[in-house]
Amino acid sequence: MRPRCHSIDIPDRLIRVTAAILLLSLQSLAVADEQSGTVVRDPHYGEVLFHFYQQDHFTALTHLDTAQAQQRVSNHAFEAELLKGGLMLSWGQHVEAGRIFENLLAASDDVGVRNRAWFYLGKVRYQRGYLTEAEEALASISASLPSELEAERFDLLARLYMDQGRFAEAVELLESFDGADDWSAFASYNTGVALVRMGELDLGARLLERVGTMRAAGEEQLALRDRANVALGFAYLQAQLDGDARPVLQRVRLNGPFSAKALLGAGWADSAQQNYKAALASWLELSNRDLLDSAVQESLLAVPYAFAQLGAEPQAADHYAQALDIYSVELARLDSAIDDADSGRLIASLLAEDSSSADGWYWQLAQLPDDERSRYLFFTIADHRFHEALKSYRDLVMLDGHLEAWSEKLAAYRDMLATREYAYSERLPVLQNRVQQFDLEAMQTQYAEIEAATVRARQSGDATIVAPADEQDAWQRLIALESNPAFESEQAAEQRHKQRVLKGLLQWNMEREFRLRLWHQEQRNAEMRVQLAQAEQQFASIDAATGSLDGTVDDFAGRIDRLQAVLDGNRNRLAGAMQQYERYLTDVALTELDGQKQRLLTYRAQARFALASIFDRMAAMNEREQ
Amino acid sequence: MRGMPRRIFKGEMNMFRLRMMVTMLLAVLFSAGVSANEPLAGASGMATLDQQTQSLKQAVLELNRELFVLEEELLYPANTQVSVFVSMDVGEYFALDSIQLTLDGKDISNYLYTPREVKALHRGGVHQIYVGNLKVGEHELVAVFTGEGPHQRDYRRGATLNFDKAIGAKYVELRISDRAQQLQPEFVVKEWE
Repeated sequence: MRPRCHSIDIPDRLIRVTAAILLLSLQSLAVADEQSGTVVRDPHYGEVLFHFYQQDHFTALTHLDTAQAQQRVSNHAFEAELLKGGLMLSWGQHVEAGRIFENLLAASDDVGVRNRAWFYLGKVRYQRGYLTEAEEALASISASLPSELEAERFDLLARLYMDQGRFAEAVELLESFDGADDWSAFASYNTGVALVRMGELDLGARLLERVGTMRAAGEEQLALRDRANVALGFAYLQAQLDGDARPVLQRVRLNGPFSAKALLGAGWADSAQQNYKAALASWLELSNRDLLDSAVQESLLAVPYAFAQLGAEPQAADHYAQALDIYSVELARLDSAIDDADSGRLIASLLAEDSSSADGWYWQLAQLPDDERSRYLFFTIADHRFHEALKSYRDLVMLDGHLEAWSEKLAAYRDMLATREYAYSERLPVLQNRVQQFDLEAMQTQYAEIEAATVRARQSGDATIVAPADEQDAWQRLIALESNPAFESEQAAEQRHKQRVLKGLLQWNMEREFRLRLWHQEQRNAEMRVQLAQAEQQFASIDAATGSLDGTVDDFAGRIDRLQAVLDGNRNRLAGAMQQYERYLTDVALTELDGQKQRLLTYRAQARFALASIFDRMAAMNEREQ
Repeated sequence: MRGMPRRIFKGEMNMFRLRMMVTMLLAVLFSAGVSANEPLAGASGMATLDQQTQSLKQAVLELNRELFVLEEELLYPANTQVSVFVSMDVGEYFALDSIQLTLDGKDISNYLYTPREVKALHRGGVHQIYVGNLKVGEHELVAVFTGEGPHQRDYRRGATLNFDKAIGAKYVELRISDRAQQLQPEFVVKEWE
């Protein structure tokens, strides 16, 4: 048996390109807001943009929601609502997004805001299936939108026409669009494929031809161009227009992610025109590629078919025998993948390498888990409905993780409050004890007396009032001498003289210092006044803190308990929804894997039958020759 | 005699070819990327689940808001809260690597920026580099910006703000802008009212 290549290069690239195409519409939101050139007038709005510009949309949305509740983005009221609506919409919250845009339309007179709100409202209504209302909303846009949104508007309108069976209008609309290439090509491809599916080959071919011959810049556009050519080529083959199919399929790059299908189709186109050698060349090239691609699987049958047509039956028999071996190996691997899917391991493995990084909701399966089994799911993962369900499931897993983290935080806050309460209960008695040692009232009375004395000193000019204690003491003693009965006796003449001299000296000294002492005393009084007021304030705040402490702690504890209960309820609901998604995703994966298995079984049966037919013919020929 | 089995064989393969072509066509046309915004329809059960999911996400979002408010009131009460933000205006003469913040002589933040964050700053985003608590009174904030300046040279510059913290939240913005005439970056510290 030939060695088979099991590299996941091709499916991986295919997924990347597919996801990139899928996500074009979502990315438009970011691009649109980048172009708006917002000048930040509230720091918290800028903080929301900081996360938004890093594509961390969940953080942006939650911070915006909180900032709005705290009235911190009032200078950006309408822009914030528009951003929130867009974030809600891209997060799959159509109902809430619709409510936001309707409110914006009712509240804002700004033409730019209104036009964008009409656009997003049209998108919401379309996604909810209200086609007429969606068209009305899009028709209400009164001026051109920013270029990226304008392209998306065309795409949305084209899809609206398609859904209403207005095919020709859709084609004309897309052909008239001359805006951003990315969107134009994307919309034309989608519409072209949809038309072909509806049997409108001529109209569909016009659009697919346009995309298939466009000048492509970058890998995404090159891949889209290839894809359009493959779709158109197969549409021609189905319509028996083999001659038209060949040149279209030849336009597909040989090293691109769609080259396998193009080679297979080109082979069939050649084969239909009896050119088996050319067909063989395409199919042989294809048969050496990764077996995961159904085109490669099919080529294993096509190669011996061409050999047989060219009369090379021994080579045909060899290739059928190889195909049988390869199909059997692949079937065994598929059975293993089916077992994994059935047990739920496959879905878990798809998210195992997911980091809840800034990629946020534009998350894509940038790479498939590198194992033998999950690689069979690449077509399924690329399917929009599976991808959307997987994205929703991933959102729920992320939210659950988020709530789990909050739950841990709440437990920590509860401990913190308990510690805070304990610390207060320890410190408060000490503090209260110290407070009680200060008799504020007595201090205030004392101050009032000092202040009154100072005023009296200024008014009366009595220098003794502001004199220092030793001078006042000396003064009192000198005055007291005068009331002594012996003071006026003759024997006390000398003492009277000394008393008068000392009294005069002391009085002279006190009066000389009076103004300065009075000024100093008034300064001290002013300082005392301030300090007393501060002490009064501190006493009041200690009283208030003591009184309100229990209330604050109780309030926080009550809020924590209530939020914990809501959180637990939400986590239960999340668990239920996640289970439902797991079931759905597993069912889809199993259906896809079973389909692949059935296809391989059919290929194997056909290979066996063809091989038997060849052996029969060869045996009959041998008999005749003998 | 040779032609007879060959005809039967060819007939079988033509049928095989047609069937395969239809299979392939379906695989090509129905595989991913046909519509970016197609709702989860298909199974009506999924549509209901989608509605349930929307309601659940909304509930979690509202809960999240309450949790954030609680956390802030608990950890950074409005009376003592101080927040420091970083913004960038043009920034052609300076490629930011990191910012070191010191408040009243204490290191409070040493933040290393990723290219993705720098890009977000260039596009108008504002980074909340620090949130904490401060008592009423005079304080000094020192920010040291490190990065690459004009002519690809290592660049390190400081900016200081002395500010008065009153009762109520205080927001300070560190703004990196260009002084075009001198072809030099400029670091401005601004207090938000």
